[in-house]
Amino acid sequence: MSALLAAAALSAVPTLVGKPAPDFALRSMDGKNRRLSEFRGQVVLVNFWARWAGDSRQEMPALDRINTTYNRAGLVVLGVSVDEDWRRAREFADAMKVGYPILFDTTADIGRNYLLRKMPMTILVDRSGVVRYSSAGFKSGDELAYLDEIRELLRE
Amino acid sequence: MNSKSRVVSTVMRSTILALAWTMGPCTFAAAAPAAAAPPPPAAPAPAAAAPKADAATAAEEPPAPGTPVTDSAPAEFKTLDQEVQGMKKEVIDLNKDLFVLQEELLFPANTQVAVYVSMDVGAFFALDSVTLKIDNKEVKNYLYTAREAEALLKGGVQEIYLGNLKVGKHELVAFFTGKGPVERGYKRGATITFDKGVGAKYLELKITDRVSKHQPEFKIKDWD
Repeated sequence: MSALLAAAALSAVPTLVGKPAPDFALRSMDGKNRRLSEFRGQVVLVNFWARWAGDSRQEMPALDRINTTYNRAGLVVLGVSVDEDWRRAREFADAMKVGYPILFDTTADIGRNYLLRKMPMTILVDRSGVVRYSSAGFKSGDELAYLDEIRELLRE
Repeated sequence: MNSKSRVVSTVMRSTILALAWTMGPCTFAAAAPAAAAPPPPAAPAPAAAAPKADAATAAEEPPAPGTPVTDSAPAEFKTLDQEVQGMKKEVIDLNKDLFVLQEELLFPANTQVAVYVSMDVGAFFALDSVTLKIDNKEVKNYLYTAREAEALLKGGVQEIYLGNLKVGKHELVAFFTGKGPVERGYKRGATITFDKGVGAKYLELKITDRVSKHQPEFKIKDWD
Protein backbone atom coordinates (compact mmCIF):
# COMPACT_ATOMS: atom_id res chain seq x y z
CA MET A 1 0.00 0.00 0.00
CA SER A 2 2.75 2.39 1.00
CA ALA A 3 4.62 1.50 -2.22
CA LEU A 4 1.51 2.33 -4.22
CA LEU A 5 1.15 5.64 -2.42
CA ALA A 6 4.81 6.45 -3.05
CA ALA A 7 4.41 5.61 -6.75
CA ALA A 8 1.30 7.80 -6.94
CA ALA A 9 3.18 10.64 -5.25
CA LEU A 10 6.08 10.26 -7.69
CA SER A 11 3.79 10.27 -10.71
CA ALA A 12 2.14 13.43 -9.39
CA VAL A 13 5.46 15.34 -9.44
CA PRO A 14 5.25 17.67 -12.42
CA THR A 15 8.03 17.05 -14.90
CA LEU A 16 9.19 18.55 -18.15
CA VAL A 17 10.40 15.24 -19.60
CA GLY A 18 9.03 14.82 -23.12
CA LYS A 19 8.22 18.52 -23.43
CA PRO A 20 10.15 21.24 -25.28
CA ALA A 21 12.77 22.80 -23.00
CA PRO A 22 11.71 26.35 -22.05
CA ASP A 23 14.08 28.72 -23.79
CA PHE A 24 16.19 31.18 -21.83
CA ALA A 25 18.92 33.74 -22.34
CA LEU A 26 21.22 34.47 -19.42
CA ARG A 27 24.36 36.40 -18.70
CA SER A 28 27.36 34.17 -18.10
CA MET A 29 30.45 34.50 -15.96
CA ASP A 30 32.65 35.34 -18.96
CA GLY A 31 30.39 38.29 -19.81
CA LYS A 32 28.73 36.65 -22.82
CA ASN A 33 24.99 36.11 -23.05
CA ARG A 34 23.92 32.58 -23.86
CA ARG A 35 20.58 31.38 -25.21
CA LEU A 36 19.56 27.73 -24.89
CA SER A 37 17.91 27.56 -28.33
CA GLU A 38 21.21 28.48 -29.98
CA PHE A 39 22.52 25.03 -28.99
CA ARG A 40 19.85 23.24 -31.03
CA GLY A 41 21.50 20.29 -32.75
CA GLN A 42 23.65 19.53 -29.71
CA VAL A 43 22.86 17.62 -26.54
CA VAL A 44 22.64 20.07 -23.64
CA LEU A 45 23.01 19.32 -19.95
CA VAL A 46 21.59 22.12 -17.83
CA ASN A 47 22.63 21.98 -14.19
CA PHE A 48 20.80 24.28 -11.80
CA TRP A 49 22.89 24.83 -8.70
CA ALA A 50 23.11 27.05 -5.65
CA ARG A 51 25.83 27.94 -3.19
CA TRP A 52 23.70 26.84 -0.27
CA ALA A 53 23.03 23.39 -1.75
CA GLY A 54 25.88 21.23 -0.42
CA ASP A 55 25.41 18.59 -3.13
CA SER A 56 26.31 21.16 -5.79
CA ARG A 57 29.87 21.13 -4.46
CA GLN A 58 30.08 17.39 -5.18
CA GLU A 59 28.24 17.46 -8.47
CA MET A 60 30.10 20.25 -10.25
CA PRO A 61 33.50 18.50 -10.48
CA ALA A 62 31.72 15.38 -11.83
CA LEU A 63 29.97 17.49 -14.46
CA ASP A 64 33.27 19.13 -15.35
CA ARG A 65 34.78 15.71 -16.06
CA ILE A 66 31.77 14.79 -18.23
CA ASN A 67 32.10 18.08 -20.08
CA THR A 68 35.81 17.53 -20.76
CA THR A 69 35.19 14.03 -22.12
CA TYR A 70 32.04 14.57 -24.19
CA ASN A 71 32.36 18.19 -25.28
CA ARG A 72 33.96 17.23 -28.58
CA ALA A 73 31.23 14.66 -29.22
CA GLY A 74 28.56 17.37 -29.20
CA LEU A 75 27.66 17.80 -25.54
CA VAL A 76 27.16 21.26 -24.06
CA VAL A 77 27.12 21.68 -20.27
CA LEU A 78 25.57 24.83 -18.82
CA GLY A 79 25.67 25.57 -15.10
CA VAL A 80 22.86 27.88 -14.00
CA SER A 81 23.21 29.53 -10.60
CA VAL A 82 19.91 30.37 -8.94
CA ASP A 83 21.57 32.44 -6.21
CA GLU A 84 20.13 35.92 -5.85
CA ASP A 85 23.57 37.33 -5.16
CA TRP A 86 25.47 36.73 -8.39
CA ARG A 87 28.74 38.07 -6.96
CA ARG A 88 28.86 35.42 -4.26
CA ALA A 89 27.75 32.79 -6.78
CA ARG A 90 30.61 33.93 -8.98
CA GLU A 91 33.11 33.54 -6.14
CA PHE A 92 31.80 30.04 -5.51
CA ALA A 93 32.04 29.10 -9.20
CA ASP A 94 35.56 30.54 -9.37
CA ALA A 95 36.59 28.33 -6.48
CA MET A 96 35.07 25.25 -8.14
CA LYS A 97 37.21 25.93 -11.28
CA VAL A 98 34.84 24.33 -13.76
CA GLY A 99 35.47 24.62 -17.49
CA TYR A 100 31.87 24.90 -18.65
CA PRO A 101 29.90 28.18 -18.81
CA ILE A 102 28.27 29.39 -15.62
CA LEU A 103 25.10 31.46 -16.06
CA PHE A 104 23.25 33.56 -13.50
CA ASP A 105 19.49 33.35 -13.02
CA THR A 106 19.25 36.00 -10.31
CA THR A 107 15.49 36.48 -10.66
CA ALA A 108 14.80 32.70 -10.49
CA ASP A 109 12.47 33.05 -13.49
CA ILE A 110 14.18 30.29 -15.41
CA GLY A 111 14.17 28.03 -12.37
CA ARG A 112 10.39 28.46 -12.11
CA ASN A 113 9.95 27.51 -15.77
CA TYR A 114 11.99 24.36 -15.13
CA LEU A 115 9.86 23.39 -12.11
CA LEU A 116 12.82 23.21 -9.74
CA ARG A 117 11.88 21.30 -6.62
CA LYS A 118 15.24 20.27 -5.17
CA MET A 119 18.76 21.61 -5.61
CA PRO A 120 20.87 20.82 -7.50
CA MET A 121 18.79 19.75 -10.49
CA THR A 122 20.06 18.38 -13.78
CA ILE A 123 18.15 18.39 -17.06
CA LEU A 124 19.16 16.78 -20.34
CA VAL A 125 17.89 18.31 -23.56
CA ASP A 126 18.17 16.37 -26.82
CA ARG A 127 19.31 17.68 -30.21
CA SER A 128 15.77 18.77 -31.12
CA GLY A 129 15.30 20.81 -27.94
CA VAL A 130 13.12 18.36 -25.99
CA VAL A 131 13.74 17.57 -22.30
CA ARG A 132 14.63 13.88 -22.10
CA TYR A 133 15.88 13.45 -18.56
CA SER A 134 15.50 15.21 -15.27
CA SER A 135 17.12 14.48 -11.93
CA ALA A 136 16.62 16.35 -8.66
CA GLY A 137 19.30 16.30 -5.98
CA PHE A 138 22.67 14.57 -6.28
CA LYS A 139 24.45 11.73 -4.61
CA SER A 140 27.72 10.14 -5.56
CA GLY A 141 27.16 7.72 -8.44
CA ASP A 142 24.36 9.75 -10.05
CA GLU A 143 26.85 10.90 -12.66
CA LEU A 144 26.86 7.33 -14.02
CA ALA A 145 23.15 7.61 -14.73
CA TYR A 146 23.83 10.95 -16.48
CA LEU A 147 26.50 9.26 -18.60
CA ASP A 148 24.14 6.51 -19.74
CA GLU A 149 21.59 9.09 -20.84
CA ILE A 150 24.17 11.33 -22.48
CA ARG A 151 25.68 8.48 -24.51
CA GLU A 152 22.23 7.48 -25.71
CA LEU A 153 21.31 11.03 -26.69
CA LEU A 154 24.62 11.59 -28.46
CA ARG A 155 24.03 8.47 -30.55
CA GLU A 156 20.67 9.77 -31.84
CA MET B 1 -17.05 36.55 -42.54
CA ASN B 2 -16.50 37.74 -38.97
CA SER B 3 -13.89 36.26 -36.59
CA LYS B 4 -16.45 34.22 -34.62
CA SER B 5 -17.92 32.43 -37.63
CA ARG B 6 -14.41 31.86 -38.99
CA VAL B 7 -13.40 30.24 -35.73
CA VAL B 8 -16.51 28.02 -35.78
CA SER B 9 -15.97 26.95 -39.39
CA THR B 10 -12.26 26.29 -38.76
CA VAL B 11 -13.00 24.25 -35.66
CA MET B 12 -15.65 22.25 -37.58
CA ARG B 13 -13.22 21.63 -40.42
CA SER B 14 -10.53 20.51 -38.01
CA THR B 15 -12.99 18.17 -36.21
CA ILE B 16 -14.03 16.58 -39.51
CA LEU B 17 -10.40 16.21 -40.52
CA ALA B 18 -9.47 14.72 -37.16
CA LEU B 19 -12.36 12.23 -37.42
CA ALA B 20 -11.35 11.28 -40.96
CA TRP B 21 -7.78 10.92 -39.80
CA THR B 22 -8.69 8.53 -36.97
CA MET B 23 -10.91 6.43 -39.29
CA GLY B 24 -7.86 5.54 -41.30
CA PRO B 25 -7.04 5.34 -45.01
CA CYS B 26 -9.20 2.23 -45.70
CA THR B 27 -12.31 4.16 -44.75
CA PHE B 28 -11.34 6.91 -47.17
CA ALA B 29 -11.20 4.35 -49.97
CA ALA B 30 -14.65 3.01 -49.12
CA ALA B 31 -16.10 6.48 -48.78
CA ALA B 32 -14.47 7.76 -51.92
CA PRO B 33 -17.02 8.39 -54.68
CA ALA B 34 -16.92 6.11 -57.70
CA ALA B 35 -15.98 9.01 -59.90
CA ALA B 36 -12.77 9.41 -57.95
CA ALA B 37 -11.64 5.88 -58.85
CA PRO B 38 -8.59 5.90 -61.08
CA PRO B 39 -8.99 5.20 -64.78
CA PRO B 40 -7.86 1.74 -65.92
CA PRO B 41 -4.24 1.55 -67.01
CA ALA B 42 -3.81 2.85 -70.54
CA ALA B 43 -1.36 0.17 -71.61
CA PRO B 44 -2.93 -3.30 -71.64
CA ALA B 45 -1.33 -5.73 -69.21
CA PRO B 46 0.37 -8.80 -70.71
CA ALA B 47 -2.30 -11.12 -69.26
CA ALA B 48 -5.05 -9.04 -70.86
CA ALA B 49 -4.02 -10.33 -74.29
CA ALA B 50 -4.96 -13.90 -73.29
CA PRO B 51 -8.54 -15.23 -73.60
CA LYS B 52 -10.98 -14.05 -70.93
CA ALA B 53 -11.20 -17.39 -69.06
CA ASP B 54 -7.42 -17.56 -68.84
CA ALA B 55 -7.28 -14.05 -67.55
CA ALA B 56 -9.78 -14.93 -64.83
CA THR B 57 -7.72 -17.96 -63.80
CA ALA B 58 -4.57 -15.87 -63.82
CA ALA B 59 -6.24 -13.35 -61.56
CA GLU B 60 -6.96 -16.04 -58.97
CA GLU B 61 -3.43 -17.44 -58.95
CA PRO B 62 -0.55 -15.55 -57.40
CA PRO B 63 1.64 -13.95 -60.07
CA ALA B 64 4.81 -15.77 -61.00
CA PRO B 65 8.01 -14.19 -59.76
CA GLY B 66 9.10 -11.44 -62.09
CA THR B 67 5.64 -11.07 -63.60
CA PRO B 68 4.46 -7.45 -63.37
CA VAL B 69 1.50 -7.06 -61.00
CA THR B 70 -1.35 -5.89 -63.15
CA ASP B 71 -4.35 -5.82 -60.82
CA SER B 72 -5.84 -2.56 -59.61
CA ALA B 73 -4.28 -2.65 -56.08
CA PRO B 74 -1.28 -0.39 -56.85
CA ALA B 75 -3.57 2.15 -58.50
CA GLU B 76 -5.79 2.11 -55.40
CA PHE B 77 -2.78 2.60 -53.19
CA LYS B 78 -1.72 5.47 -55.41
CA THR B 79 -5.12 7.11 -55.00
CA LEU B 80 -4.99 6.55 -51.25
CA ASP B 81 -1.54 8.02 -51.12
CA GLN B 82 -2.71 11.06 -53.08
CA GLU B 83 -5.66 11.43 -50.74
CA VAL B 84 -3.42 11.20 -47.69
CA GLN B 85 -1.07 13.78 -49.19
CA GLY B 86 -4.06 16.02 -49.87
CA MET B 87 -5.25 15.64 -46.30
CA LYS B 88 -1.78 16.45 -44.99
CA LYS B 89 -1.68 19.61 -47.07
CA GLU B 90 -5.12 20.54 -45.78
CA VAL B 91 -3.98 20.01 -42.19
CA ILE B 92 -0.97 22.26 -42.80
CA ASP B 93 -3.21 24.94 -44.35
CA LEU B 94 -5.56 24.63 -41.40
CA ASN B 95 -2.70 25.04 -38.96
CA LYS B 96 -1.68 28.19 -40.78
CA ASP B 97 -5.27 29.52 -40.63
CA LEU B 98 -5.46 28.74 -36.92
CA PHE B 99 -2.18 30.52 -36.26
CA VAL B 100 -3.36 33.63 -38.10
CA LEU B 101 -6.68 33.48 -36.24
CA GLN B 102 -4.93 33.11 -32.90
CA GLU B 103 -2.80 36.16 -33.67
CA GLU B 104 -5.91 38.09 -34.71
CA LEU B 105 -7.80 37.12 -31.57
CA LEU B 106 -4.95 37.64 -29.12
CA PHE B 107 -3.68 40.83 -30.70
CA PRO B 108 -6.61 42.39 -32.56
CA ALA B 109 -5.49 45.00 -35.05
CA ASN B 110 -7.37 47.81 -33.32
CA THR B 111 -5.45 47.38 -30.04
CA GLN B 112 -2.19 45.97 -31.39
CA VAL B 113 1.16 47.58 -30.68
CA ALA B 114 4.30 46.08 -32.16
CA VAL B 115 7.83 47.24 -31.36
CA TYR B 116 10.79 46.38 -33.60
CA VAL B 117 14.55 46.75 -33.15
CA SER B 118 16.97 47.57 -35.94
CA MET B 119 20.64 48.45 -35.93
CA ASP B 120 22.76 50.27 -38.45
CA VAL B 121 26.58 50.07 -38.61
CA GLY B 122 27.23 49.53 -34.89
CA ALA B 123 30.85 50.70 -34.87
CA PHE B 124 30.27 52.66 -31.66
CA PHE B 125 27.90 50.31 -29.87
CA ALA B 126 27.73 46.58 -29.13
CA LEU B 127 24.19 45.73 -28.04
CA ASP B 128 23.73 43.69 -24.87
CA SER B 129 20.13 44.17 -23.79
CA VAL B 130 16.97 46.22 -24.32
CA THR B 131 14.37 46.96 -21.67
CA LEU B 132 10.98 48.31 -22.69
CA LYS B 133 8.58 50.20 -20.48
CA ILE B 134 5.12 51.22 -21.63
CA ASP B 135 3.30 53.70 -19.41
CA ASN B 136 5.93 53.11 -16.71
CA LYS B 137 5.39 49.34 -16.65
CA GLU B 138 8.18 47.01 -17.76
CA VAL B 139 6.86 44.89 -20.60
CA LYS B 140 10.04 43.35 -21.97
CA ASN B 141 13.64 42.74 -21.04
CA TYR B 142 15.61 41.11 -23.83
CA LEU B 143 19.18 39.84 -23.57
CA TYR B 144 21.07 39.58 -26.87
CA THR B 145 23.56 36.85 -27.64
CA ALA B 146 26.51 37.61 -29.93
CA ARG B 147 24.72 35.80 -32.75
CA GLU B 148 21.54 37.85 -32.36
CA ALA B 149 23.47 41.14 -32.24
CA GLU B 150 25.32 40.10 -35.39
CA ALA B 151 22.03 39.31 -37.12
CA LEU B 152 20.83 42.84 -36.32
CA LEU B 153 24.06 44.31 -37.68
CA LYS B 154 23.54 42.37 -40.89
CA GLY B 155 20.24 44.18 -41.42
CA GLY B 156 17.87 41.97 -39.46
CA VAL B 157 14.82 43.52 -37.80
CA GLN B 158 13.56 41.92 -34.60
CA GLU B 159 10.00 42.04 -33.32
CA ILE B 160 10.81 42.54 -29.65
CA TYR B 161 7.30 43.15 -28.37
CA LEU B 162 3.72 42.58 -29.45
CA GLY B 163 0.92 43.62 -27.14
CA ASN B 164 -2.38 45.38 -26.79
CA LEU B 165 -3.07 48.97 -25.80
CA LYS B 166 -6.16 51.06 -25.46
CA VAL B 167 -6.80 53.97 -27.80
CA GLY B 168 -5.19 57.16 -26.48
CA LYS B 169 -1.85 58.65 -25.44
CA HIS B 170 0.91 56.33 -24.27
CA GLU B 171 4.59 56.59 -23.43
CA LEU B 172 7.25 54.11 -24.48
CA VAL B 173 10.68 54.19 -22.84
CA ALA B 174 13.48 51.98 -24.15
CA PHE B 175 16.75 51.41 -22.30
CA PHE B 176 19.69 50.12 -24.28
CA THR B 177 22.72 48.60 -22.56
CA GLY B 178 25.92 47.42 -24.16
CA LYS B 179 29.44 48.47 -24.85
CA GLY B 180 30.01 51.94 -26.22
CA PRO B 181 33.09 53.54 -27.74
CA VAL B 182 36.40 52.30 -26.26
CA GLU B 183 34.68 49.13 -24.94
CA ARG B 184 33.10 51.03 -22.07
CA GLY B 185 29.81 50.06 -20.45
CA TYR B 186 27.05 52.12 -22.00
CA LYS B 187 23.44 52.68 -21.01
CA ARG B 188 21.10 55.03 -22.80
CA GLY B 189 17.39 55.62 -22.94
CA ALA B 190 14.98 56.87 -25.57
CA THR B 191 11.40 57.98 -25.03
CA ILE B 192 8.45 58.51 -27.28
CA THR B 193 4.90 59.59 -26.57
CA PHE B 194 2.52 58.28 -29.14
CA ASP B 195 -1.17 58.34 -29.93
CA LYS B 196 -2.72 54.94 -30.27
CA GLY B 197 -5.53 55.21 -32.79
CA VAL B 198 -8.04 52.58 -33.92
CA GLY B 199 -5.57 50.75 -36.15
CA ALA B 200 -2.40 48.84 -35.25
CA LYS B 201 0.63 50.82 -34.09
CA TYR B 202 4.17 50.02 -35.19
CA LEU B 203 7.22 51.50 -33.46
CA GLU B 204 10.85 50.97 -34.36
CA LEU B 205 13.82 51.29 -32.01
CA LYS B 206 16.70 52.39 -34.23
CA ILE B 207 20.32 52.20 -33.18
CA THR B 208 22.61 54.12 -35.49
CA ASP B 209 26.13 55.56 -35.43
CA ARG B 210 26.62 59.28 -35.13
CA VAL B 211 29.94 59.52 -36.94
CA SER B 212 30.47 63.24 -36.26
CA LYS B 213 30.35 62.68 -32.48
CA HIS B 214 31.78 59.15 -32.45
CA GLN B 215 28.77 58.09 -30.44
CA PRO B 216 25.82 55.77 -31.00
CA GLU B 217 22.39 57.28 -31.43
CA PHE B 218 19.10 55.81 -30.22
CA LYS B 219 15.83 56.81 -31.80
CA ILE B 220 12.27 55.61 -31.74
CA LYS B 221 10.39 55.88 -35.00
CA ASP B 222 6.62 55.89 -35.16
CA TRP B 223 5.43 54.14 -38.31
CA ASP B 224 2.06 55.79 -38.89
